[in-house]
Amino acid sequence: MYSIDMKKPMNSRLIRVQHLALAICTVLFFQVSGVGAQSIWEAGDPISGQTLFNTNCASCHKITDEVLVGPGLLGIQDRWGSSDEMLVQWIQNPQEAHESGDKYIKGLVDRYVGTYGWMTAQAVSKEEIGDIMAYVSNPPEVLGATADASADCPTLDYDKVEESESGNAIWFLILFVLFITIALGASGVKRSLTDVLAEKNGEALLPDSSYMQRLGGWIWNNLVFVSLLGVFFVLYLVVAGYSALMDIGLYADYSPDQPIEFIHSVHVCENEIDCKYCHHSAYESKHAGIPSANVCMNCHKAIKKGKISGTAEIEKIYAAIGFDSNSGTYIDGEGEIGNLLPQDSYDGEPIKWNKVHNLPDHVFFSHQQHVTVGGLQCQNCHGDVSTYSVGRIAPVEEINELVDAFPGLIQLSKPTLTMGWCLECHNKAEVDLTSNGYYEELHERLNDSERGNEELRRYLEDDKITVRELGGWECSKCHY
Amino acid sequence: MANTKKYWSGLDELDGTDAFQEIQSKEFQEQIPVDKFLADEKLNSTTTGRRDFLKFMGFSLTAATLAACETPVIKSIPYTNKPAEITPGVANYYASSYYDGMDYANILVKTREGRPIFVKGNAATGIGAGKANARVIGSVMELYDKARLEGPTKKGEATTWSDLDTAVSESINGNGRAVVLSNTIVSPSTRKAIESLGVEHIQYDAISYRALREAQAASFGVNAVPHYDFSKAKVVVSIAADFLNSWLTSTQFAPDYASLRNPNGGSQSKHFQFESVMSMTGTNADVRTMISPSEEGKVAAGILAVLKGGAVSNLDAKLSSRVKAAANALSGSKGESLLIAGTNDLSTQTIVAAINQLLGNYGTTIDLERPSQAFRGDESAATQLIADMNSGKVSTLITYGCNPSYDMPNAQAFNSGLAKVSTSVSMNGVADETASRSTFVAPDHHYLESWNDLSLRAGRIDLVQPTIEPLFNTRAAQESFLVWSSAENSDWYTFLRSQYNGAYTSDALYSDSDWNSAIHDGNMVGNNLSESPNYTASIETSLAERKVSKVKGGDMELVTYVKATAGAGQHAANPFLQETPDPVSKVTWDNYVTMSKSDMVALGLNTYIAQEDLATVVKVTVGDKQIELPAYMQPGQKPGTIGIALGYGRGSNGENIGQAAYQTGEKGQHLMLDSGLPMPIGVNAFPLTSNSEGNTIYASYDVNIEATDREYPLACTQIHNTYMGRDSVVRETSFDSYLAEADKPKGKASWNMAHALNVHDDTNHDGVIDARDKENTSEFDLWHSHPVKDVGHRWGMTIDLTTCTGCSACVTACSIENNVSVVGKDEVLRHRDMHWIRIDRYYASDYSLEKGEDEGVGVISSYGLMEDPAENPQTVHMPMMCQHCNHAPCETVCPVAATTHSNEGLNQMTYNRCIGTRYCANNCPYKVRRFNWFNYKGHSKFENVNPAHDSLARLVLNPDVTVRARGVMEKCSMCVQRIQSGKLEAKKAGTAINDGEVVTACAEACPSNAIAFGDLNDTGSQVRAISENNRSYHALEEIGVQPNVFYMTKVRNVDSNEA
Repeated sequence: MYSIDMKKPMNSRLIRVQHLALAICTVLFFQVSGVGAQSIWEAGDPISGQTLFNTNCASCHKITDEVLVGPGLLGIQDRWGSSDEMLVQWIQNPQEAHESGDKYIKGLVDRYVGTYGWMTAQAVSKEEIGDIMAYVSNPPEVLGATADASADCPTLDYDKVEESESGNAIWFLILFVLFITIALGASGVKRSLTDVLAEKNGEALLPDSSYMQRLGGWIWNNLVFVSLLGVFFVLYLVVAGYSALMDIGLYADYSPDQPIEFIHSVHVCENEIDCKYCHHSAYESKHAGIPSANVCMNCHKAIKKGKISGTAEIEKIYAAIGFDSNSGTYIDGEGEIGNLLPQDSYDGEPIKWNKVHNLPDHVFFSHQQHVTVGGLQCQNCHGDVSTYSVGRIAPVEEINELVDAFPGLIQLSKPTLTMGWCLECHNKAEVDLTSNGYYEELHERLNDSERGNEELRRYLEDDKITVRELGGWECSKCHY
Repeated sequence: MANTKKYWSGLDELDGTDAFQEIQSKEFQEQIPVDKFLADEKLNSTTTGRRDFLKFMGFSLTAATLAACETPVIKSIPYTNKPAEITPGVANYYASSYYDGMDYANILVKTREGRPIFVKGNAATGIGAGKANARVIGSVMELYDKARLEGPTKKGEATTWSDLDTAVSESINGNGRAVVLSNTIVSPSTRKAIESLGVEHIQYDAISYRALREAQAASFGVNAVPHYDFSKAKVVVSIAADFLNSWLTSTQFAPDYASLRNPNGGSQSKHFQFESVMSMTGTNADVRTMISPSEEGKVAAGILAVLKGGAVSNLDAKLSSRVKAAANALSGSKGESLLIAGTNDLSTQTIVAAINQLLGNYGTTIDLERPSQAFRGDESAATQLIADMNSGKVSTLITYGCNPSYDMPNAQAFNSGLAKVSTSVSMNGVADETASRSTFVAPDHHYLESWNDLSLRAGRIDLVQPTIEPLFNTRAAQESFLVWSSAENSDWYTFLRSQYNGAYTSDALYSDSDWNSAIHDGNMVGNNLSESPNYTASIETSLAERKVSKVKGGDMELVTYVKATAGAGQHAANPFLQETPDPVSKVTWDNYVTMSKSDMVALGLNTYIAQEDLATVVKVTVGDKQIELPAYMQPGQKPGTIGIALGYGRGSNGENIGQAAYQTGEKGQHLMLDSGLPMPIGVNAFPLTSNSEGNTIYASYDVNIEATDREYPLACTQIHNTYMGRDSVVRETSFDSYLAEADKPKGKASWNMAHALNVHDDTNHDGVIDARDKENTSEFDLWHSHPVKDVGHRWGMTIDLTTCTGCSACVTACSIENNVSVVGKDEVLRHRDMHWIRIDRYYASDYSLEKGEDEGVGVISSYGLMEDPAENPQTVHMPMMCQHCNHAPCETVCPVAATTHSNEGLNQMTYNRCIGTRYCANNCPYKVRRFNWFNYKGHSKFENVNPAHDSLARLVLNPDVTVRARGVMEKCSMCVQRIQSGKLEAKKAGTAINDGEVVTACAEACPSNAIAFGDLNDTGSQVRAISENNRSYHALEEIGVQPNVFYMTKVRNVDSNEA
């Protein structure tokens, strides 16, 4: 286990706002200056370009000079040495563009493909490429700051040996045993001295009694004190027992060891990879899912050495999917090297992750309902993952503190991943009835004075409809 | 008017048997077996004292508490190289097709993470309505049978494909005669693959229609089974053809037939059925007449005679009048009628062909230009083959898609011949009767693992595509043929694909994109690989008429038939299908001898069967063959005839055909025969069939039946869950009564009056408060109204009793969709079946007050006559599931609020809250709640029947539905998992839910569209319209529980005095 320096990252929300402002300025500038030439470098919308860039390109390209997986795109508008059409074709289908025999493309292929492999064909339209280029060719000024943002990412101090609470407990135990030994020894000495004194004074010796008998005698002599002590002890046990029972089934801060020491902060904070790049099924399935190894390979085909653990952890991906890091190619089932794509025939041992967010089998939770439809931010349940090493369950208090960094988070009080936590959120979360045709229809039915039900129209009184009012507290929403 | 008619759940209720009375007086039918427990002798010798008991309790409590503290470490293993089309948690659907030599259906296969978990009809592009039946729906289970062979075998020992291929190729290319024996192959490419072997190919069908084909050949020159179009047949006369269940490719007929049954448009087809056994089709007939099998030909001849202006001969007066009525109905609907016969007798089929020709049905309801390609088997060739095998003339026999050692009438001769064949190869997937007797087994893929093309009729090719990687080291049979024929390219997919390449079909019809879209749709059109014959009619019936008139019936005649669940034996090891009750008899897990009450009484057999009342075993002798089976009283069975279902008694020689194919005892262990072999379910009746004039004859006109002193328990759900004589459950009327009041608003027509209660108020404003002052039940509320009306969704269901045929496809679909536990015969006997939907089958008396009036019988006597057991009762099928009452009685009695009402009108069941008091089941007026008496997925009693037990069969479970634990209640949830996902899809699309987008498994499976599901609050929805129709009513309306399930009054097309 590593301890994590929980220094807060720089307010990345603020950066985004600055991005947005800049982008809007750019758009305004173009509109005002009336530059309407339909060149691919000029006509695009940098705001949507930014989104597109982050989704499709950012995992391999930076807007700097730095080569990540592919070349850095800073200044591409000046150095692109071929036609606009060729750029579109190159992005949409690199191999086909190469076959066209374009000289500039050939140069690109010679320079990069040998080392980094072919760029994946991107499913973006010509207009979208225009948007991306608009964003890329006008890199936000603050980008430098963003690059430096990695300095604000949490420093995971891996050298520091874990100092667990159990270590303290052992010291405490040793001290306690020492104390008892000394106490018993002292008591023996005291007794001997008393005996000597008595012998000297000619009094009767103390009766030869065991420690227990003497303890009993002492208790008898100090009944009030011992009773009080006993009462406090029983009270302590009750309170401790109760809180222990209340902790059963709570998994806040649960962070099991993983087969691969995957550092979220490096990927999310420093490399700014969007959550849904890896956990894309959160948007289309009930499971957020753990990314398959071929998704890792999109970047790690090129990035073979990690910042923290070197090649050790990344090699585990290669072992699973059958990748030869020396040749940069995949191994097939026969052990032959030289394949450009992962081979189904390769019989690698899959990576067996330990599930972090466990729900009981009878709970049917759907990510897409909450993320795609409800528009909930990942942080509302998972905390600020950009500060984590391996996956963990964020305690609710920690999530509540994120509200400044992530406006719109719903603050909750019940422990994370308990049913009370779910229901509390369902009670607070509002549903926007106007922006989705599905909810609009339901809203109409409620408003319809001919048909609407009096009893339910009270939902409309406070001008908001919560998830609960739409049935979010009903058993069969989650249990079936 | 027929609403004075009385209904009984069975003759048990009608006769008021002791067993019935006893059950009726109890809420729970099974006693808690305290006496049995205390009588256990071991109890006295137990050494566990009170203190020990307390210690155990303390230890268990501590252990359980400690175990709960442990954080379970759950592994989560993502794909290494994820296929692009799979997203974990999202189902994929693939269009495919089903054909097993009997059933044919276009299907959609639902897969989750690459494993098929559900099969349904492909309504979008399927033939006809694209519906499947219970057998097809249940077939997904068979993919995960652990009895499937894991690779090729030689003499029962595992071998390699290459060794097998060498040996088989050598044998085929040797000097001896090699033969491929198969069921009817409807796949053009498979036929080519077999042809490539260059050996003789003989086809036969377990259920043969050779006579039907021969009759077409003799009359029209086309040797094929015609295609029947029931959607145009306004009059259907069926002579013992169970066309809704098993006759020909019945999956197509049921939806077509049902489309003309709905009376809302002012018309309804008329259906006459002449038969001996009460078949599923017979229960749906408007006019059902009991005949002996020996009279089938005479009925046909009688109809022909009437049509020609003559008189019916050779039949008794009552039967003659029925024949005449049927003939008149047919002649009144020329070109829009159908006469069909189930028999495999050439003479009868010739007469039937002549009648249809006379009626002008050929070219309208009967299509011979594009006939069916199915059922082209020739059992006379198969019989000759058996003779040749026995005389040592065959050196290689390859059996494919068939099980002749089991289902041939002369299976014994086949088996002795098989022993003389030096190289016998079976391609069956399990070591069944034929495979275990063959030298080699070259196991074929399961159909969900294979590629194939099927052509049921010319002009359309249906495609079969794999939906999962082969689980075992099996190989497509077609690939085996190609390998053995030393074809250059033996890859079956390439071979199949090349059939549809430009190079092959001269017009370059199929490019890759065409092929891909054909795979997507599950079919392609235009490729004419099957012939379209021209036909001319020249029908000579005099010989046939003479022949049928000479048929003599015996004192006792036998009919064999095919059940809706087991088929002809293909599904013997399928626990879901074995536990689906037979639509007519409601017996599970067995076959039996169906008999009329009078015959049973004459033989002194037990007529009423219950948990403690066992059926008497009878010995049936046909020629030199004898079988022993329990006798079951079947109303509607023609006295003097018996019926036995085919397809049972599989694996009687101890073959490993699947663990659910054998009987299990009280502790779940397989029961053993005296011979030490496991006891099969039921007895094989194929040996009782015979061969005559080259055709397999499934009836026998002279059998002997005698009682034995053995008794046998039959697990029958017939008298379960009675309605204690409350007659407001089923509503029925005749078609003319319906028409007379078809325009009346809901609740006003005499056949569907709203239920009213007397009130102490002058509601009719006549100035007096008396018995005429009534108010509709809907005006009374005992509970607070649940505010679901018109707000949000209100999920509801409508069930049309007119079109429901009782086929039980819904039961099977529901069980597989909702992980409903299979509990086995012993538990069904204890009334602990877990089905969320059941089909209540009610018999009716054929007497009514009106009829009594017409006949001048007094009212009191009429009531007496109405109680007279109907020998040939009318039948109503009523699907019954949780009615999702808005005033649910179950909800108010739950002490822990485990069952609650949702604001979408659903009665929710929360398993993890339920503590199993069973108050709710006690208080349910519909008796639809089911209690988990056991841990079905873990208790050893169920390891041989419940799929959740073994790690392979468990793959069929639906991951979207909880597998329920012991001690909780469960019931129909209206497929809430589908509702939830349907709502989510709509939200993602940002649109309101369109009607029909959310549909339950039962509604989706219903071949006759009797069940509809949707949002009652959606003013444009189908269920809303139906619920407002004047035929719709609530079952048990008088108790005022306001269900969200509506039934529609059954309309039977009979004259009111007939009804």
